[in-house]
Amino acid sequence: MIRLSDVGRKYGRTWALSGVDVDLSTGVVGLLGPNGAGKTTLLRLLATALAPTRGQISVFDLDPQIPEQRTAIRRRLGYLPQEVGFPRGFTAFAFVDYVAVLKEWTHSAARHAEVRRVLDLVGLSSIATKRIRTLSGGQRRRLALAQALLGTPELLVLDEPTTGVDPEQRAALRAVLAEAARTSIVVLATHQTEDVAALCERVLVLDSGQIRYDGPVRELTRHAAGRVWLADQPDPAARASWRTGTGRYRNIAESAPPDVELVEPSLEDAYLLLRAGTGTTPHSQGIRA
Amino acid sequence: MIVTAIRPRMPGTLPTLTWHETRRYVRSPVLLLALALTAYAIYDLSRGVVADVDELPTYPASFLGGFGMVAACWLTQSMQRSAEALNVAPTPARVRTSALCLMAAVPFACGVLSLLAVVMFRRVDGDWTEGAFTTTDRFAVLLSQVAIPALGGPLLGIAVGRWVRAGWIAPALFLIIVGWVMLANGLADTYRNSLPVLLMRMFAPFTFFTTWTGGGVQTWRGSPVAFLGWQLCLCALAVTVALLRDTDRSRRRRLLGCLFVVGALAVVTWALAVTGGLHHAVITYPGGLPQPI
Repeated sequence: MIRLSDVGRKYGRTWALSGVDVDLSTGVVGLLGPNGAGKTTLLRLLATALAPTRGQISVFDLDPQIPEQRTAIRRRLGYLPQEVGFPRGFTAFAFVDYVAVLKEWTHSAARHAEVRRVLDLVGLSSIATKRIRTLSGGQRRRLALAQALLGTPELLVLDEPTTGVDPEQRAALRAVLAEAARTSIVVLATHQTEDVAALCERVLVLDSGQIRYDGPVRELTRHAAGRVWLADQPDPAARASWRTGTGRYRNIAESAPPDVELVEPSLEDAYLLLRAGTGTTPHSQGIRA
Repeated sequence: MIVTAIRPRMPGTLPTLTWHETRRYVRSPVLLLALALTAYAIYDLSRGVVADVDELPTYPASFLGGFGMVAACWLTQSMQRSAEALNVAPTPARVRTSALCLMAAVPFACGVLSLLAVVMFRRVDGDWTEGAFTTTDRFAVLLSQVAIPALGGPLLGIAVGRWVRAGWIAPALFLIIVGWVMLANGLADTYRNSLPVLLMRMFAPFTFFTTWTGGGVQTWRGSPVAFLGWQLCLCALAVTVALLRDTDRSRRRRLLGCLFVVGALAVVTWALAVTGGLHHAVITYPGGLPQPI
């Protein structure tokens, strides 16, 4: 339903993204990668906020380069940018209501009902009449997410949706996104690997503007099996090593030494190994050279 | 299966958005202050005698036009904070700009009401107090000094707000315009028949045509009707410049064409304003004929 063919985007002389070939369909797709990997650029391309420097993007068989078709895509799109500023003097309800007008909800009763619905989804219905400036960072983030959820869009593009959100609300938001993914394509970029592990069937790992991994989350995690262990000391040969809450050290390396206490790897372990360039057994659609 | 048919634009987005923007605009403290000050100025007018045609209209122009411009600019800029989220909404930037421009109907309506109030309430000593003007010219002066600034100010604010992010730009622009008008009219008071001063005075969104002096009313050079045309061209330029922001390539070409035509018209009306009207400043006294000065 969404196809990116050899997509690249250049800022000045720097390619923020290059040679991206991806097909996306219904479900949640997670985007992982270090800062500057090209995640936000990819999301902005999907959200029609940016045009590619090269390559083709097709969203629901529509071409975002053609103004009429771009508008048609936007009617089916919900977008949460990395940073959303809010106009002064608006209440939470008024802001989402304003966005709803821009999303062509012209009938006021239906629009207000929809605004109340999305505010309820993100847990803000009780503070809908509060001025935005009085809301906490997490509440503002949820408010920004609420505007993206208006009209149950078929494509949800979310840039770090759970940043600054407390664990309880994060769990609630995961439920909302999982529900949305039953009928929509949800693409989310995050630094929270636990969100990806909890939500996504598929993960794309970006690095230096290129896709390093594209495949199921389970498959990526499986690559780290047998490479993560606990020890009383940090291993100097390990790619990453840190002291855990139990006082023991969690070590990640290409291969574990013999007779160590291997533990179940997490997505974060697998991601760190992949970043260190030690991924093995490429998946048919998985780790890319 | 996802249906890929292109849904036509929902009707009613522009009126709904205009309503939203208008509600925000009329709640703006700056505009509320402008309305209150205008109402007070008109109330004050109903109590006394106005010396010449120019004296009172300055207030609605400054308040509705000047403060209205600042309020409209800040309102336009306020949404730039959320631009990335709003710019991918199906409602294009031109519809949002159009809604903002339509919102300027509110201060314009207030300007028209102020004009009616000015005409109703002012008490004049006689025709001589309005200078050596025809009825059409007098009407043009009143329109250009009361109603049109109330429209043009907010439109200018919207155009500036669409292009410039800095919040101080609107107050700064207000001061620049006030400074320019005061300078041009101050010079006109001294050099009544100077062509450069006339050119300068007409190259402004607001100007005076008469002034009270030594028991008579001076009427300066320039055509009020052509000046009204110049002001309307400035309004059209402001709308076009505002619409140019974030427009797609094909529309940009048409808007640039429109900008060229309106710009040319503005030059023509400005030239007519300079060359038309009286060719020499005159002064009128009670019961006397206009005399050159």
